[in-house]
Amino acid sequence: MNILQNIKYKADNANVSRLRFWIQLLTFILIAYGGYLFIHIGSQVPTFACPYNQGSPGTCYLIAMQHGLHLKWSELVSYRGLAFFTGFLSFIGFFIVFNKAWCGFICPLGTLQDWITKLRYRIGIRFSRYDSLSFQKLKKVKYVLLILLIAIPLGMSNSFFGLPPINHDMQAPFCQVCPGRTIMPLASADTSQFFIDFTNKTTLVMSTLGMLITGLFFVGAFAKKRFFCFFCPMSALQFMFSRIGILRLTKNGSKCTKCGNCYRVCDVGILGIAEDITSKNIVKDDCMMCFKCVEACPEDDCLDVKVFNAKIFSSTQEGFFKRYNQQDKLVKKNE
Amino acid sequence: MKDIQQSDRFQRVVKTASIHYDMEISKTMAAIADNFSDNPAAMKYFYEKHRDLIRSESDGHQPLKKIISTLCIHVPVELILAVGAIPVRSCTGAYSTDQIGAEFLPAKSCPMVKSTLGAISFNLLPGKIQPDLIINPATCDQKKKLGDIDEELSKKFYLLEMPSTKDSEEAREYWLQTVFKLIRKLEYVTGNKLTAKSLKLAIRKVAKAQQLYRKFNQLRTAAPVILGKDALLVTNAFFFDDIDRWSLYLELLNDELENRIKTNFHVVNERAPRILLTGSPSVFPNMKLPILVEELGGIIVSEEFCSSSRMLWDTVAVDEWHLYDMIPAIADRYLKPSTCPNFSPNTDRKRKILAAIEDYRIDGVVYQTFTGCQLYDMETRVIGKALEDAGVQTLFVETDYSPEDIGQLTTRVEAFLHSLKHNRKKLAL
Repeated sequence: MNILQNIKYKADNANVSRLRFWIQLLTFILIAYGGYLFIHIGSQVPTFACPYNQGSPGTCYLIAMQHGLHLKWSELVSYRGLAFFTGFLSFIGFFIVFNKAWCGFICPLGTLQDWITKLRYRIGIRFSRYDSLSFQKLKKVKYVLLILLIAIPLGMSNSFFGLPPINHDMQAPFCQVCPGRTIMPLASADTSQFFIDFTNKTTLVMSTLGMLITGLFFVGAFAKKRFFCFFCPMSALQFMFSRIGILRLTKNGSKCTKCGNCYRVCDVGILGIAEDITSKNIVKDDCMMCFKCVEACPEDDCLDVKVFNAKIFSSTQEGFFKRYNQQDKLVKKNE
Repeated sequence: MKDIQQSDRFQRVVKTASIHYDMEISKTMAAIADNFSDNPAAMKYFYEKHRDLIRSESDGHQPLKKIISTLCIHVPVELILAVGAIPVRSCTGAYSTDQIGAEFLPAKSCPMVKSTLGAISFNLLPGKIQPDLIINPATCDQKKKLGDIDEELSKKFYLLEMPSTKDSEEAREYWLQTVFKLIRKLEYVTGNKLTAKSLKLAIRKVAKAQQLYRKFNQLRTAAPVILGKDALLVTNAFFFDDIDRWSLYLELLNDELENRIKTNFHVVNERAPRILLTGSPSVFPNMKLPILVEELGGIIVSEEFCSSSRMLWDTVAVDEWHLYDMIPAIADRYLKPSTCPNFSPNTDRKRKILAAIEDYRIDGVVYQTFTGCQLYDMETRVIGKALEDAGVQTLFVETDYSPEDIGQLTTRVEAFLHSLKHNRKKLAL
């Protein structure tokens, strides 16, 4: 027990952000080039392991889901339906291990955005924040995208309200506009995804949208930390199941002084982390479990990272000041 | 007023007031330092600091830096330090200046406001400083109206606007704008520009002091190694002391307390009732109630006061060390965690008190309200109910700066402590 306590003590004083930087680098390499290293992790990966990239070690589940839903109502209770169901279960299986930490530690698009943020900080350009009202509205976009991503494939095989089935050029509609499709192949020096398809009106609109969103991805990430994550349907899909995640982030509201440090460092600007003193589970829908909030919290055991119910990383006064003073040294070095 | 201030008669009155103030200080210091044994040796610095409270450090010469006097914890100290000025919190606890302040304000006003005003008008602020600007925040009505008599006093006041709630986004935005306005004012008064570098340095400085204060708090709550009257002097010295020097001496005190814990040297018996003080703040030399509690055998392990924990607890943390992140961080720090009763709703204060009771193993709460301090008086009901539900005994005391009620207070505090001890005995059965 003493050894465990000792390890926990070291963890509480650790600089998780630095660790996260290295994990992100490692997982980025794995997801961008894992395929070349004969790694294969299946086609239900809950992050942007984009198969358009030659080196991808697996397939993003959004692709599998869009293809899997390309079925008639009658096929739902058939082997195709069963295949979709088992695929979904393996997505959940992958997901619940790391919960939303898939976004904060593994997602290659998230990592890219974090690097862009680091670059902006180095240059000394300010970031922007949404005001709370527009934030509340904007964060719903990802749910709309998720619904469309499910409804469009179903609409291609079935008729809704007597309307004719949707054009087959809309296949895998999200992939057509996803910045992952254009950006991830760049890791293999493949620029073939940068195109506008003039075949017909549908392809023209969708491919143009795709290019626009890719542009927005870079511009947005430069102005706003984790800009794309607000619109990411993968994040929306994951959040629906985050309650059953093994990795948890909990808050003990009675210890909170509302100092707002957690909100200040939150890359996705979740105000609830500071203001909500009643919820135990504090994973809000944009949360990416980067645990910067836990690092920035000076109250003992106010924020806890747990595996099942065992605390693995907690906010402590000592850890807070240790990291705070460490930061000072880093800042001094940069000057 | 200027003519009056130069008259001989006025000068004589000021001198008399100053003598009375000094006598009050000596009396309080005797009660704090001399009447107790086992005072930590490192407290000597803080005792001296308070003994010399209204003796000028610079023999009447103004220091090169501008002096900004603040009347509340809602004024961000970091900003004042960052523009190269000296922050001095000027809330006063002297009965002698309370009587002077009563000349300007209604008789039923809060003694702290009256006393502060008296000290300002007679130039009896800590170190006899002459502030270049007095920032009075629009918290309670009485502090808000202080600045209205600036002309009569020929002093420069600056009203720091405050929202009356802190939970809404509108309040937050409004307060941020107020902070920006304050920065412009400070830059104008001092002639220095706020830079990212100076602000970062100031934030670091305050953070270091806060880190030491938290350590101090940890030590005093872990074991009875220091009395609350001493702890209150430590935080009170933060009002006017140089922040670096204050940190240095607190570090020495912390080391001594750490040794006391190691060697099991306790200032009171293990069974002494552990008291939490809250309500209207005790500011030196008005230490009547804390001294009484400890003379009668209790120990104050924590205070929920704007003169102590609320002033020093929360640290400004930022994500990016640039002004665009530092200034909103400071604004949030000085609004959101505040448990000042001028905010409505103020459930955070209730939570904070309940958390302290659990964390610091509190036996009883002493709730101090100054006559005329309406806000703390009004909160007695809500807090009292919460404490009752939590099963914690509470003593509500209404008092002011005059020494007249000491006899009655003694009886009440004694009875309260006795009943706390009795309760413990019952629990042990």
